Amino acid sequence: MDIKEGKHSILMVSDFFYPNFGGVENHIYLLSQCLLKLGHKVVVMTHAYANRSGVRYMTNGLKVYYVPWKPFLMQNTLPTFYGTLPIIRTILIREKISLVHGHQAFSTLCHEALMHARTMGYKVIFTDHSLYGFSDIGSIHMNKVLQFTLADVTQAICVSHTSKENTVLRSGLPPEKVFVIPNAVDTTMFKPAPERLSMDPIVIVVISRLVYRKGADLLVEVIPEVCHLYPNVRFIIGGDGPKRVRLEEMREKHSLQDRVDMLGAVPHAKVRSVLNSGHIFLNSSLTEAFCIAILEAASCGLLTVSTRVGGVPEVLPDDMIVLAKPDPSDMVHAIKKAIRILPHIDPQEMHRRMKEMYSWHDVAKRTEIVYDRALRCSNQTLLERLPRYLTCGAWAGKLFCLVMIIDFILWRLLQLWQPDSEVEPVPDFKRTELKRG
Amino acid sequence: MQPGFDDNHTDDTFLQEMVMNANVVKRDMLKVMLDSVSISQYLCIVALVVLVWAHTLNSTITENFLIILDITLVGSGFFILLLTAKMLSFKLLLNYAIKISFFTTGLYVLSPIYHTLTRSISSDSIWALTTSLVILHLFLHNYSGSTIKAPGALENPNLTSNISLNASIVASLLIASRLPSRLLVFAIILFSLQVFLFAPLITYCLKKYSFRLHLLFSFVLMALTLTCVYRLHKLLFVVLLGLLVFVNLVCPYWLIRIQEYKFEINGPWDEAKLCFNITD
Repeated sequence: MDIKEGKHSILMVSDFFYPNFGGVENHIYLLSQCLLKLGHKVVVMTHAYANRSGVRYMTNGLKVYYVPWKPFLMQNTLPTFYGTLPIIRTILIREKISLVHGHQAFSTLCHEALMHARTMGYKVIFTDHSLYGFSDIGSIHMNKVLQFTLADVTQAICVSHTSKENTVLRSGLPPEKVFVIPNAVDTTMFKPAPERLSMDPIVIVVISRLVYRKGADLLVEVIPEVCHLYPNVRFIIGGDGPKRVRLEEMREKHSLQDRVDMLGAVPHAKVRSVLNSGHIFLNSSLTEAFCIAILEAASCGLLTVSTRVGGVPEVLPDDMIVLAKPDPSDMVHAIKKAIRILPHIDPQEMHRRMKEMYSWHDVAKRTEIVYDRALRCSNQTLLERLPRYLTCGAWAGKLFCLVMIIDFILWRLLQLWQPDSEVEPVPDFKRTELKRG
Repeated sequence: MQPGFDDNHTDDTFLQEMVMNANVVKRDMLKVMLDSVSISQYLCIVALVVLVWAHTLNSTITENFLIILDITLVGSGFFILLLTAKMLSFKLLLNYAIKISFFTTGLYVLSPIYHTLTRSISSDSIWALTTSLVILHLFLHNYSGSTIKAPGALENPNLTSNISLNASIVASLLIASRLPSRLLVFAIILFSLQVFLFAPLITYCLKKYSFRLHLLFSFVLMALTLTCVYRLHKLLFVVLLGLLVFVNLVCPYWLIRIQEYKFEINGPWDEAKLCFNITD
């Protein structure tokens, strides 16, 4: 047995993974890398992307199963309730998994995997990365599905305290089951420029998807006002999206072509160089569970101006961020304050503080505590688990119970057809440490 | 991130900033019942239109009666508008008169086409289609305002009110195509279009002018409709009476009963609302 004592085999499941880039994707990848360094075994499962289907290996032997299901809506696989049961069972037995960790409430593959893993008796953990509302029809359905999945989850993780409150309200979980582990940033990749930029012109950087949710409309109101008040301020806007047209129109209308640069979509590798060309980072999102973009900016030594929404106030200490209401005049006021305190900011000092406060190794250690806690929970049979689903609602509770019973029956049938002993387990290979000469 | 605390530590500040039921309006039974009178008023108007259609198809009403009815409706509509909306400009009235005469002439010229529109379709299909269209019209109708923009109305018509208006117009055309003579076709289409296009506007102006007048008008209308339907068909009378009782008495009580289950949650996790309008 090559897995040492106290080390776990973890299956990360989500619809969102490399080759897509985003908050959830980076979180899964970096967390997996740090867990590998701590000695655990990590396997990732996601759906196939274009031609990328089958098994792939990433850095440090991270094995990724690109299950051949094509995404059908916004990167999600088609939700067939029991269709993923055989493949998940095969992966769990082959890789000798001890617990399953699902990410993102919006991912259908995650919900199905957690459901099947619970049926087969594995411990499951769920991490929620976003905030959702309660009143529109999409959120109501999503919350019901979440209630189903979280009715029987072993432990849950949220990325901020606001996110914890939101998840507890949406799913009815007891708050003691929810752990708050914030995201982190790779400070070795995001370093400030070696030489301090000159203060004239002052450059304000915006990097985000240009959609309604990220406050692109606020930018359209704020940028002309700031350019009018401060003749020596320039803007750099990176990112693409449906609202790009409105920003271009704003540029034309106020003749700001030489003061506002629109870079289009910025690949992840180039984000650092764009950040290093600025002094201030502006984030105008209307809702954010935990904003990693702000961490990246602070790690590069930029002063942040952001809207006070969701979990943003929990991210940075008060001297590294200026918060404003999501209102154009308040944001202009905040930018004025930021420009005033800019000379007192030292980018290298900021970077050093960020290195101490946020690191993915810390996140991995705290996640490990959650895993240990989960594995110490008792095993429960189907009959002991069913009453938890009944609390989900008068009609929904009975429906969910029925779904789980059918899942259980299908699992037993699958075991009769292809017994556990016939599934070939994957041999573990030793990773030899490279000798540094 | 606080040293010395577990990651799943929950203290007193948990859910402290949650606000419950911030936007919920406490409803009063009497007010809800009075508001539901506008719904039953419109139901009665549509019932009267269907009555006129039924009598015309039975040849109980003659063409002359219909033409006189049309002119009376136009006259009284204008009278009420003048009384309530106070738009007394002569130029505007002339403008309206010209538009109305164009419309009427166009309708008269097109009535031969409507006369033979559904000649090849069986009667059963027509009755079924008309019934479903009228039900659709009632279902999607905007009871709080008027699809034709009234002077001083706040909002633009939305998709469902447009669909309901179209359904009613198509229903009147289908019924008209079943009639024997062209003059009848012209008269019935003119009558139906007048009611469906302008009745919401007139009732809206009336309601804005004086609530008592609105209530009086509604009760008179309900009494008139019930008597006419009683004379036509007893079962339909029972159905209409049941519907009116349901809308005016049962529904307000039900609404107030289930209002106590309302649970609206707001907090720092909500998406921020922009305080300005996005002009494209």
